[in-house]
This record gives sequence, structure tokens and C-alpha cells, in this order.
Amino acid sequence: MEVTRQIYWNVGHGVVIPMYILAGAAFGVLAWGFWQRLPIWRQGKALDRFDRYDERIKKMIAEVFSQSKIFRVTDGGVFHSIFFWSFLILFAGTMMVMFQADFFTPVLQVNILSGEFYKAFSLVLDIAGILALVMLAGLFIRRFVVQPKGLEIVKDDYIVLQLLFAILITGFLIEGARMAATELQQNPALALFSPGGLLVGQLFTTMTPGTLLVTHKILWWLHFVLVLGFFCAIPYTKLRHIFTTSVNAFFAPFEAKGSIATINMEDDTVEQFGAAAIADLTWKDIFDADACTSCKRCQDRCPAYATDKPLSPMKIVKQIGELAEGNPTGNLIETVSQDALWACTTCRACQDICPANIEHVNKILEMRRNLTLMEGAFPGDEVRTAISNIEVNGNPFGLAYASRGDWADGLPVTLMEQDSDVDILYFVGCYASFDKRNQAVARNFITICAAAGVKVGILGKEEKCCGEPPRKLGNEYLYQMTANENIELIKAYGVKKIVTTCPHCFNTLARDYKDLGLDVPVEHYSTYINTLLDSDRLTLTPEPFNFTYHDSCYIGRYMDIIKQPRAILAQAGGSITDMDKSGCDSFCCSAGGGRIIAEEKLGTKISEARIKMATDTGAPLLVSNCPFCLTMFEDGIKTGGAEGQLQVRDLAEIVAERITA
Amino acid sequence: MKLLVCIKQVPDLESRFKPDAAGVWYNETDLAFRMNEYDEYAVEQAVQLREKLGEGTELTVLSIGPDRVVEAVKKALAMGCDNAVHIQDTAASSKDPWQIASIIAAYAKDKGFDIIFTGMQSQDRGSAQVGVTVAEQLGYPSTTTIVGFDFDNGTITAKRELEGGIKGIVTMKTPALVTCQLGLNIPRYPTLPNIMKAKKKEITAIPVADLLSTDALATTTSFHPPAKKGGGIVLEGDVGDLVEKVIALLKDKTAVLR
Repeated sequence: MEVTRQIYWNVGHGVVIPMYILAGAAFGVLAWGFWQRLPIWRQGKALDRFDRYDERIKKMIAEVFSQSKIFRVTDGGVFHSIFFWSFLILFAGTMMVMFQADFFTPVLQVNILSGEFYKAFSLVLDIAGILALVMLAGLFIRRFVVQPKGLEIVKDDYIVLQLLFAILITGFLIEGARMAATELQQNPALALFSPGGLLVGQLFTTMTPGTLLVTHKILWWLHFVLVLGFFCAIPYTKLRHIFTTSVNAFFAPFEAKGSIATINMEDDTVEQFGAAAIADLTWKDIFDADACTSCKRCQDRCPAYATDKPLSPMKIVKQIGELAEGNPTGNLIETVSQDALWACTTCRACQDICPANIEHVNKILEMRRNLTLMEGAFPGDEVRTAISNIEVNGNPFGLAYASRGDWADGLPVTLMEQDSDVDILYFVGCYASFDKRNQAVARNFITICAAAGVKVGILGKEEKCCGEPPRKLGNEYLYQMTANENIELIKAYGVKKIVTTCPHCFNTLARDYKDLGLDVPVEHYSTYINTLLDSDRLTLTPEPFNFTYHDSCYIGRYMDIIKQPRAILAQAGGSITDMDKSGCDSFCCSAGGGRIIAEEKLGTKISEARIKMATDTGAPLLVSNCPFCLTMFEDGIKTGGAEGQLQVRDLAEIVAERITA
Repeated sequence: MKLLVCIKQVPDLESRFKPDAAGVWYNETDLAFRMNEYDEYAVEQAVQLREKLGEGTELTVLSIGPDRVVEAVKKALAMGCDNAVHIQDTAASSKDPWQIASIIAAYAKDKGFDIIFTGMQSQDRGSAQVGVTVAEQLGYPSTTTIVGFDFDNGTITAKRELEGGIKGIVTMKTPALVTCQLGLNIPRYPTLPNIMKAKKKEITAIPVADLLSTDALATTTSFHPPAKKGGGIVLEGDVGDLVEKVIALLKDKTAVLR
């Protein structure tokens, strides 16, 4: 006879009806729990995240079942992923038993769970159970014994861990009791396919058959009630993430990374800008709070948090959730605090690592918009001055706009107002135009272009700040004002291609200006030079050097340009030693999010922290490709005491020195 | 109550100044313009008072100049002025402070303004005469370079900045005029809803000819950069030799030893 297992052994088929009624009730509690949260989410403004649902479903399934985002951080991630897959197998196994008992057997009169398949089924489920227990133990030890910095312990953690342990342990106990009464005596060879049950079964071998049967029945009901408790607990505890975090993968934005809603300045019926209260956020912003698992990965990677500033991206997400639930009309900005909001460098490290697809950065930007557009607030007087300088002279330094093109005197550069028939428009940006250190970068870029036979045009005094720092500080009005002036010019000159040396200009022109009607290909010089090299328009004579490379947030994380600059530097003869935090895991220089025009008054200096990481590689040279990063690092080397130990140079400087004559 | 604030649009001081063709004022090419700094304090103080007094108070902003000055006027409206007067004058820069003050006084004389705010001086011409001359022509009491302002029950209490860091307190009954100095307040940054609202506020345009009836009392005869001074000399070497060299230089190039 083929091996199988008698379902409802000992408890009898009489349990079927009460079992389904109770299960139905548990699912009712679950659904009711989430139903009650609906009005909380719906306090937010409309946002369409139900379009392209086929792609959304695919994304959700791929992310949830692969656990790819969770696995990315091994601490906690490995335990969680393996636990998830094991628990999923146990759940699928239970479903198979259910279908067998209540559908295949009574309706189709077939038994799938028999023979070799049953052996495999039994073995896989037992191993899954053991793995789940081991992983749960790992998670328990991590949270309560190891206690990684920043990981909070809340009531839910006790409830959830106890519940899961109890479910898994009672599961093995039932199996052991059943096997002690059946397989262990009748078919010990089959028992080998249930290693967990085989081991636990030894506990019951000394019991009298009568006691064993009663014990088994009690355990069965206990296990069943615990499982029902698990379902009921989902909406009311952290377990809700099983639903909310998974669904958040469905709701994840499809827009290009870094997209910010462009406010319609023509609409004069709007009187409220940015977010001052819960109702000013979108429903997704509120839902995000429910999707947050407090894994604190965002906080771990936040450069502001790491340097003792009052900002934790996780805390902001939680504060939004608490306010939405407890005090929806409360003052959002006061709750979060202005200091926390202004501390953000919009480096996107939080959002990039979040396994729950939470959108941290735009929440902060919406609140900043409120501060700036509705209150006329600034992080400091130096910012007020810089903003006023941009308004008057089109640059944050307040230098005469008419001198913007002076850096290019005597260089092979065409002024667009004189001749707009050029290969590329070099959008120079404020720093390369006015800041002495960065003017060297601009000049080197021109040298490179000249060597490659590229005719470069600049707007000169007609160019204005791209508007990125004001925009990231919430000043959408000033952003659109300068952006529109730039766009009008670029369009009027019939520009075919734009190249920037500034990642902030690059992101703004390439992505944000599209919303305002500019549709011209824009490239950062990292990829542009790489293409010149690949197409042999530019050749380098390599000179060996050791270096480490800083991935600018707006080039790496925002634009996924990680390999190209490294490829250029390799061709120049460089040997790289990467910092621990590199590529998509790079650590901001401190100047993003408009912070370039703000003084860093709170905590320690981010730039010094990054310089420390660079010196730790032992490399004598730090290469960057962003004027803001270069500025911060020149400063960080001096104030951080790394002079003589580390030098910072721009990609263009390295390349220009090695052009084959 | 009726309040008036007078503002001037001036070039940003970081701009590159070049004399104009006649050599009596600056050439406006390549200059970036903004509201005169001291006038921003005046606007802020006027708006604060306007907010404190609430309904029934009307705050008018006035500026004289070519069409570009409307930008500065719009900013003042966005900061909270109720309405504006643009006295159109493409040759405002060639008028002396007496004429400018006469134009303002001619406009204000029958309007019954209770308090007039001006900057203590303009950043470009810097005569510091317009405010006080307006007061004189209107017969208003005035006080200058205020760094503190309070208004209660028809009386202005103003704190003045005097030489050497000394402060003085002045009280005046309205109608009166004050000229505002750095330190009085921090001018607000206009909020977006107020910028939007400002677009709909009324700007009354008046040709300058309707108000100007006096000739200039002072004439600007030349506008030029300071003459280049000779380069310095760095002397190096033994102290004894240096003394000889210095004495020789003083005898040769200066009159101090003659």
C-alpha cells in the first residue's frame, strides 16, 4: 500500500464545520481590522497608483516572493527572508492538506498526498518548519540579545514573536504526538521523512495511548486557535506589514527616481501649498506609515542621522502615521520639527534601501514647500541671502550675473548669443561659473571637449541657476521662475544636446525641466566623456594612480551612473579602492537638498565623516564628479585634518591631464 | 488710517558699474536691479503696522522710475502693501533729491497719509535727503535712521541709531515720517499665496509730468570710478638700510620733511 497520512486523524471529521466557521470568523476580524484603517488612509489627497496594474502586480509578486529588497541588507534580512520562505512553504502545505481533505478526497476521490510525493511533501514541510524555528530564534536573539543600535523593542515584538514561536512549536508537538501514536510504531521508515516530528515524537513515547490521544487533541485545538490568533492579529500589530508592505510594492511609483510634483503656478484658485497637516499629504504618504516595519535601515543610512542631526527618516514616517491616527488636524511640521526637515540632504539613501517602498524624500519636500511657500521660512539667514541672490543675480553667491561667463575667457567656447550652431550646450551651473575651485573643472572640461573636437556653446550671462537648490528647499516659485527663463533660452537657440558637469543641474534639466516643457537630451559629463572615449574621439595616455571614488547621490543613486566614471578613471590609469559605502550605498557629501547654501549648524559635519571614510581606504586621492561634493570635500579635508593625507580632485581634471597629445 | 511707503529700485551693488554716455550717472546695461535695502525695512515696518491695525488701514507703496521699478513694487505688494502708485519717469536718475521729494510730496499732499515710511537712504545715490525733504514739504515731523518702531494711540515711538552706537528715543504725533535703517526688522519673504494675490492688486500709473513742478537744486556733474592710486612699494632688507630708504622716499615723494 502507498504511504499516506490520515488527515483529521484522532480529531475526526467532526471538526471540519467548527473549524471553517472559526476560520471564517478570524478572517472576518482580519478584514474588519483593515477596513477600519481605510478612513485613516483616505484622509490624504488623491494620487493615482492604480494605473498599469498588470505591471504593478508583477512588481509586487516579484518583490514579495523574491524578498530581494529585504535580502539586500544581511543583518535581519537573511533571517527574515528564510523565515518568510519557510513560513510560505508551511502555509502552502497547510493549503494542500485543506484541499486534499475537503475537496480532492470527498469530491474527486483522489489522494495526492500519497506515495513518493507524500514523502517529499512531508520532508519539505518538516525542514521548512525547522528552518522557520531557527530563523525565528535568530530574529529573537537579534532583537532582544544583540539589540542593534536604533532597533526599538515595542509591545508588538513580544506578541508577534511569542505567537510565531507558539504556532511552530505546537505544530511540531502535534506532529510528534501523532507520529508517536502512528508512524513511529507502524512505519518507522516513513517517519524518517518527518525528521522534526520524529525527534519531538520521542517526548510522547512513554505516554499511555489514551493520554496521548487526548494530548494530541488538545494540542491540535491549541495550534488551531493560535493560528486563528495570528490572522486576527495581522491588522492590529506589526504583522500588518504582511499586507501593507506587500501592497506597497504594488503602489510604488513608476516615475523616474527623484520626480517631484510640479506645482501649477497658473492656477490661482490654489491657496495651500505643501503639507502643513495630514490632509495635505497623499493617501500613499499615510499608507506608507502602515507599510513601515521599523526596520530602521533608512535611519542607518541617513547622513544627517549619522552626524547627530535631529532627523530620522523612519521617525518622520512614523510621526505621520501617529498623527493620521491620533490627531489628524495636528500641526504636522511642528510634530516633525523644522530642524529635522531642513537637515535632509535629499540624498535618497533612505528611500533607496527601504524594503517597503516608502517614499521618504517627497514627504520632507512637501513639508519644506509649506514652510517656504506659505511661511516664507528659511533654515537660516545665509539661505535667505542666497535665495535673494538667486532672485537678483541668478546665482547664490550674489555675484554680478554679467560676469557668469568670465571663466571661459580665452577658451575655445562659443557664446550662444553669438553663434548657436554648436555640438553641445554646456550648461555650466553656478559653481563652475563663479566658484574658483570649480572653474578649474569647467576649464578642464573644455580642454577635454576641444581635444575631442567637440564644439561647445555656453549661455554665459544669459544662464541662470537651474533652480535645484531653491526647489529642494521647497521654493517651487523661484525654481520655476529661473527654470522657465533657462528653458525659453535653450529652446530659442534650438539646442540639440546639453551636457552638464553638475549632477544637480543634470537631474533638474534632464528630468524636472521636462515637466516645464524642455525636451532636449541632457547628459552628465561622466557618461559623455565615457562615450567620447568609447568612440575613440578622445584617447588617454594612462598614468598610474591610486584613488577612491565618491558616488555623488544625484549621479549614482538617482541616475544609476556608477560604472561609467569608474571606467573612465580606469582608462586614465587609476586603481580604485572603493569605500564601504559606494555605488547605490554611497554616503552624501552634505550638500544636496539645497544644503549647499545652508550652514551645517547641528551635529557633526557630514563632509568630515565622508572624508574619514575616504582616508580609511588608504588611497591618497579622492575623485568626485560634482561641484557640490568637491566644495564640501575641499572643506572637509581642511576642517577634518586630512590635509597632506588626502587630496580631492574632479574627474575632468584627471582626464584632462592624460589626454593623448 | 492711511500709510505710505516709498521705495526705490536700485542696482545690485555686486554689479559692474560703468559711467553712461554723458558721464553723469551709471550705464544700466548688465545691471541687476532690486529693491533698495533700507526701503525693504520700511516696507516690512509698514506691513507690520498694517497688520497690527487691521481692517480700515490702507497701505500704499510708491515708486518713481521707469517700467522696471514695477518689479520692486510687486514685491512690496507681495509683502503686504494694499495698493501701489507707480510714478512713471524714465529720467528719474537725473533728478536730484529735491525734485524726487517734491514729486512724492505733490502726490501725497491731499491724500491724508498718517505715517510715511522711507528708507534712510538709497544704496546708489545715497543722499539720505528724500525722506526728510518730503516731511518738510508736507509739514510733517520726521525722524531718521530708526532701528525700533512702535505706534500706539496716534503716537510714534521710534528708536534712532546715532553715532558711536548711541541710541535715541523720539516720540512724534501723527502725521509723521520715519526713515528706516538696518536693524529695524528682518524683511519677510513673500509667501506664494501673497505673490499670487499681489498680481491682482491695483498699481496706479501716474506720468511724472503731472506731479513735477520744480527744477533741480543740485546737479550731478560727473560719475566716474575713483582715480587709480599708485602701487605700493615693499621695502626689504636690513633695518638700518630701510630707515635710510624710507627717509629718502619721504624727502623725494612727499612734503612731510620739507
